[in-house]
Amino acid sequence: MRRLELNSIARKLACITLLLVLSFSIPLAEAGLKEEVSETVLSNGLKVLLLENHKAPLITFQVWYRVGSRNEAWGKTGLSHMLEHMMFKGTEKVGPEEFSRIIQENGGNDNAFTSRDYTAYFENLSAERIEVAIALESDRMGNLMLREGDFRTERMVVMEERRLRTEDSPQAYLGEQLEATAFQLQPYHWPIIGWMEDIAGLTLEDLKAYYKTYYTPVNALLVVVGDFKREELLPKIEKAFGSYSKGEVPQQAKGLEVPQVGERRILVQREAQLPSLIMGYHVPNLREPDSYVLEVIATVLSAGKSSRLHQSLVREKRLAFGADADQSLLSRDPSLFYLSADPLPGKEVSDVEKALDQEIERLQKEPVAERELEKAKNQLEAAFVFGQDSMFNQARLLASYEISQSWKDIDEYLPCIRKVTAEDIQRVAKRYLVPDNRTVGILVSLPPKEGKPAPGGPSGKEENIR
Amino acid sequence: MIRKILFILPLICVLASAGPLPAMPPVQRTVLPNQLVLQVSEDHSLPFVTFQLLVNAGSWRDPAGEEGLAHLTARGLLLGTSRHTVNEINEELDFMGASLGASAARDYADLSLRVLKKDLDRGFALFMEALTSPTFPDEEIRREVEKTMAMVQSAEDQPEDVAQKEFQKVLFQGSPYAHPVNGTKESLPRLTREAVFRFYQSYYHPNNVILTIVGDIGADELKTKLLPQLESWPTGNIPTAKFEVKFESEKKTIKIDRAITQANVIVGHSGVERSNPDYYALTVMNYILGGGGFGSRLVEEIRNKRGLAYSVASFFDPGKYPGSFEVLLQTKNASAREAISLVFQQVERIQKDLVSEKELESAKKYLIGSFPMRFNTQAKMANFLSQVEYYDLGRDYPEKYASFIGSVTREEVLRVAQKYLHPDKCILIIVANLKEAGTE
Repeated sequence: MRRLELNSIARKLACITLLLVLSFSIPLAEAGLKEEVSETVLSNGLKVLLLENHKAPLITFQVWYRVGSRNEAWGKTGLSHMLEHMMFKGTEKVGPEEFSRIIQENGGNDNAFTSRDYTAYFENLSAERIEVAIALESDRMGNLMLREGDFRTERMVVMEERRLRTEDSPQAYLGEQLEATAFQLQPYHWPIIGWMEDIAGLTLEDLKAYYKTYYTPVNALLVVVGDFKREELLPKIEKAFGSYSKGEVPQQAKGLEVPQVGERRILVQREAQLPSLIMGYHVPNLREPDSYVLEVIATVLSAGKSSRLHQSLVREKRLAFGADADQSLLSRDPSLFYLSADPLPGKEVSDVEKALDQEIERLQKEPVAERELEKAKNQLEAAFVFGQDSMFNQARLLASYEISQSWKDIDEYLPCIRKVTAEDIQRVAKRYLVPDNRTVGILVSLPPKEGKPAPGGPSGKEENIR
Repeated sequence: MIRKILFILPLICVLASAGPLPAMPPVQRTVLPNQLVLQVSEDHSLPFVTFQLLVNAGSWRDPAGEEGLAHLTARGLLLGTSRHTVNEINEELDFMGASLGASAARDYADLSLRVLKKDLDRGFALFMEALTSPTFPDEEIRREVEKTMAMVQSAEDQPEDVAQKEFQKVLFQGSPYAHPVNGTKESLPRLTREAVFRFYQSYYHPNNVILTIVGDIGADELKTKLLPQLESWPTGNIPTAKFEVKFESEKKTIKIDRAITQANVIVGHSGVERSNPDYYALTVMNYILGGGGFGSRLVEEIRNKRGLAYSVASFFDPGKYPGSFEVLLQTKNASAREAISLVFQQVERIQKDLVSEKELESAKKYLIGSFPMRFNTQAKMANFLSQVEYYDLGRDYPEKYASFIGSVTREEVLRVAQKYLHPDKCILIIVANLKEAGTE
């Protein structure tokens, strides 16, 4: 646990499109959230968002800190995620790794995740046990004990995590290389988990300074969704979190990319069964209305089996067994619009790339038909409704919006989607989805080196190595 | 992506963890005249409905040499019907923003629909069409096989997957749980439209089916709109099939060499069936050993104390028939031997000494207390109810669960550890850079 929020490429590999991740989670689409959510800022600057949902006697309690890999410096990549792991190492009152044990003994689950933009901690548990989560989260916001021994061991765990997620996964490795090429100025250049060499070089002092700078009430956000009464819960939160001093608002502005002036192209050559292809175009985030147009474009391209990429690459041309389009609407800084495909065995990556290009050209040249546009909007709206089913996702979405811009923007989502026209799609496709603005990454699959058994072939020899 | 290795409780274990049920909404259960079992749980908080249908036609029924047939048949339901082509079906589903999915697991096949309330009639009509009048067009079946072949090949790049397939193959000794649900690169080219059709005709009958409906649907609607369609589905004969349980019972080590940085390790052996009376004691025992997330002994020893792995977990995987017991971990190649030896130490320890009172209580509190989170969304509720019915856990299962878990004693934990863990007869699978792992 202490898990890492993967970037959109890896998310694609997990067969969950970003689209769904985002829109699955939007609560109370029609009612309007502004009336449903209460926002309170405590005197020390801690912002608290509360959403009552009495469907089941459960709550999700989440603390989000405005710090992620974007806040790191060259040579210190992976620090945010490392600190996420260390947040379970205890305080004066709570021993190392006791946190999760206490939550579990109370019938709950807890975990944490780190993204480029934030580090988030959550407890899902029975509503009557909410005070356990309040006490524990409040305690570690101010009293974390960072010890050298714990740190050295946990750093090994994080290195194992990196091996598992990235080093031994050709696709994840390709994604990391693509981002390192597409982003030259923005901190999105480096992976959330950090480069292996950087992880190895982190120190306890780095962690202490980072904790002090970013884990302050003014830099945090508390979100609770579930079966509680606002007027009863808020005083408890104020009592538990109100005593910490505000802290200074950390500097959050980061340099942005300068416009790209020509296609970048990279190859990753390593042992793999099949090649793969991914392309990333620089696009704006939700601060610009074009981002909603890109949501619709991603849906037209790849939501469902009737979508364009599936119809063209998988069915008609029979070049790939999967194809996807994806973007990060809620990215704090502008990010990438991804196109990707998994070629069928024996197919040329260049043909797959051509087929993707043709779909982009089609978006630029022909207006999307009325029914197809309506279909995409229906898909986004339906996903909206489905997403209201999970309290965890409701809280997660409120927080993601707030970190990116403001939770109140959730109410703009559907109206902005509904406003998108066929002309918008053509215009936006012509503006952003052009070769000069993209990075192309290709995994060139190499066969296993000589002297090794054929893939899948067990050595057969028996041995007891206990 | 959510990395949940540490909480890797197999599907069925989810069921294991019920408790006192203040939150369990009422469920209507009916057996229709054609013997279809129908369960309905109304939830009007959101305007959509979830359907989950289980057919007792999982991959355990695959004929020898046609591994993957059950899965292909389930997938085939979505590839065209007597009234609509695959493209027409997909277009219509997407236009509603609905999702219709089909797949097979070891024990059963599954057809699921999620649809907005306003599109219920149309969505359910497509669901029934897929279920009762699929045509399995030859061309579409070929495409599905081609795609599955590519996915099977691609999965060779996932060391965990490679290890798991090898483990199942070795442990189950050619018995019905031995092969991957998807099929293999040898069996897939042999699957034909005729075989799919035959499989479908054998098993896809209402008297072999459990349908669970959760969501924004009322009794009237059910009666007037859904029941007539369900009841008109004719009963059929289900061929009897015998499951021959077979396990590798000797100690065995399989090593697979890959150019990777971590050793992916599985240590395991035979397990139990879901109906085993010791199931609850095993659940508690396994929670303490390696099923209980950060509180488990394996995590404490291998991850927390030594930093040797990001994820390490143990589980029993009980099916309708006896499944496996497994410990899974990944560690850098060089630590493989050390980590494996720690696994054996912990297995032997829980067989030797009584667990502490505190460990026992913690396990019980979690297993009972987390119960309401087993069904806090429509999809989770549908899955929960389907499995209660499929595994015949009884309609009072949710009420009884707390006492099933609560009555487990330290002595029972010790007894089941001694009875069901076999460290001297483990199958050990290592997918690693064998040279670096020192296991060449």
